[in-house]
Amino acid sequence: MHLLEVLNPIGQQRGLMNSLKISPRPDTLDNKIVGLIWSGTHGGDLALNRTGEMIKERFDNVTVNFYTGGNYPTPPPIVQQAAKECDVVIGATAD
Amino acid sequence: MIEIEKTGKPAIPIVSGRFEEDAIASSRAFAMPDLQFVIVPRIYRNLAPDLCISQTEAVIDDIIEVLTVDQGHTRRERDTTTAIERFEGEDRWDAILKMNEQWLLRDWGDSLVLHPPTPEAVAELVDGTGLDRDDLVCDMPPGFGLATVEKIAINAAMAGAKPEQMPVIIAAVKALSEVGEHGGKSLLMSTSPHAPMLVVNGPIAKEMGINPRSGLGPGRDNEVNITIGRAFSLCLRNLGYWYPGQMDMDTIGTTRKFVHCIAENEEMSPWQPLHVDQGFGPDESTVSVFITDGELDIQDQGNTSAEALLKNLAYGSTFGTMGLGSANGSERLIFMPPDVARPVGGQGFSKQEAKQFIHYHANHSLGKLIQYMPIDDARVGKQWSWLEGLTEQERLDITVPLLESVDRWHIVVVGADRAKTLVMPTGEGITTVGIDQYR
Repeated sequence: MHLLEVLNPIGQQRGLMNSLKISPRPDTLDNKIVGLIWSGTHGGDLALNRTGEMIKERFDNVTVNFYTGGNYPTPPPIVQQAAKECDVVIGATAD
Repeated sequence: MIEIEKTGKPAIPIVSGRFEEDAIASSRAFAMPDLQFVIVPRIYRNLAPDLCISQTEAVIDDIIEVLTVDQGHTRRERDTTTAIERFEGEDRWDAILKMNEQWLLRDWGDSLVLHPPTPEAVAELVDGTGLDRDDLVCDMPPGFGLATVEKIAINAAMAGAKPEQMPVIIAAVKALSEVGEHGGKSLLMSTSPHAPMLVVNGPIAKEMGINPRSGLGPGRDNEVNITIGRAFSLCLRNLGYWYPGQMDMDTIGTTRKFVHCIAENEEMSPWQPLHVDQGFGPDESTVSVFITDGELDIQDQGNTSAEALLKNLAYGSTFGTMGLGSANGSERLIFMPPDVARPVGGQGFSKQEAKQFIHYHANHSLGKLIQYMPIDDARVGKQWSWLEGLTEQERLDITVPLLESVDRWHIVVVGADRAKTLVMPTGEGITTVGIDQYR
């Protein structure tokens, strides 16, 4: 028998060294402001707008805001604006 | 979405099915491994409107759940903790085959047989540089794994590299990390087949035997080219996490992802070499990274005047599309063989003048160049709004320069005898890094 010892080629990811947890979830979307961020790609706007409509149908007193920078990636000021103005945000990505 | 989550607000992307692994890999790369998302079956971009809406309606319960319910689980992280792996076989070759079988299952290879990165083999490669094994060269895009000298050496060992090749491989890794804003991350993760191309300049190319002639193909003459390119591409996978279906999302793929390395044919060039254009001295050695997106052979069957050779090259370069965003970032890399470069240079054209001549003659129908994107698409820049009132025929009848400016053209003299030029669409410009600092 032969025992082969080799070194692991995988590099540790920087992102996992200081990783962050996701934010706490609200119990309901009642009375919430829902942000929709569109990357500008064809069809994503249809998906997001329909999502906003359905959330408004299911929850009370929901406000839907639509944001786009016209292209991918969405410019940081628009992302920051959505984060500031909304309670939750939905995006279409890898779309 | 991660940037919004960082502010304390729940944020989720709707992700199409083929991108589930990509979403997981990206959430790891960008420091939020538990990012929640919702999967729909098809990519929206080329989907009919009714299907865009119906597949979204089908996941509304999922969307609401991930926004309002704390899922309370964490994704298992890739195990990178085991420094040494052990494989038992009937003999050494059998153990190597077992290593290959396991590592290819984990997608750590390129499906060709991997050399075993034994501690001894890796130590030899580390000795090929003036750096310490723990020195950090960069965070390697697109997944931003830590590219230490030792980790680069391990991947180089798997490719069968030799110690003297290590400075080139390290410089190439460093150069990729400096491409564009985030190491060319967007291009590397595109569904188009963007791939790095390495060009080596300076004395080291000859010392090492990097072929500057028919150097992009297979065979004995290209052993060094292939080995350096393979070592680099294994670093891209195992340090950059550029795994197919995770962060390499090509629709069809390309053999250029078996990354090519070539040297400029400086001896046969009438002009100063690429690295001198980039601000290095002629006696310095460098590696330059281009991000290419396809290639086309432009043949010339008998022209001898500079103008005729360059016009043929310009006309042949007018394929593909032009950018319709706020700026047209399309570029072209020309691998110009000596049988084109020498007559052009010999008849008085500087490299810059040759590029200006090509730029002037490389025109095409605007309508043909922009057919790929509907003019009412949100990504079309405002400067193109005047096109909306034109008929298709009117758009087809307008002639425009292929590229935004002469600076978008890059000429590298490469190749053997014969006037066959290779032209590649590229993005993000040129990134050049000195090799000598790693010797």
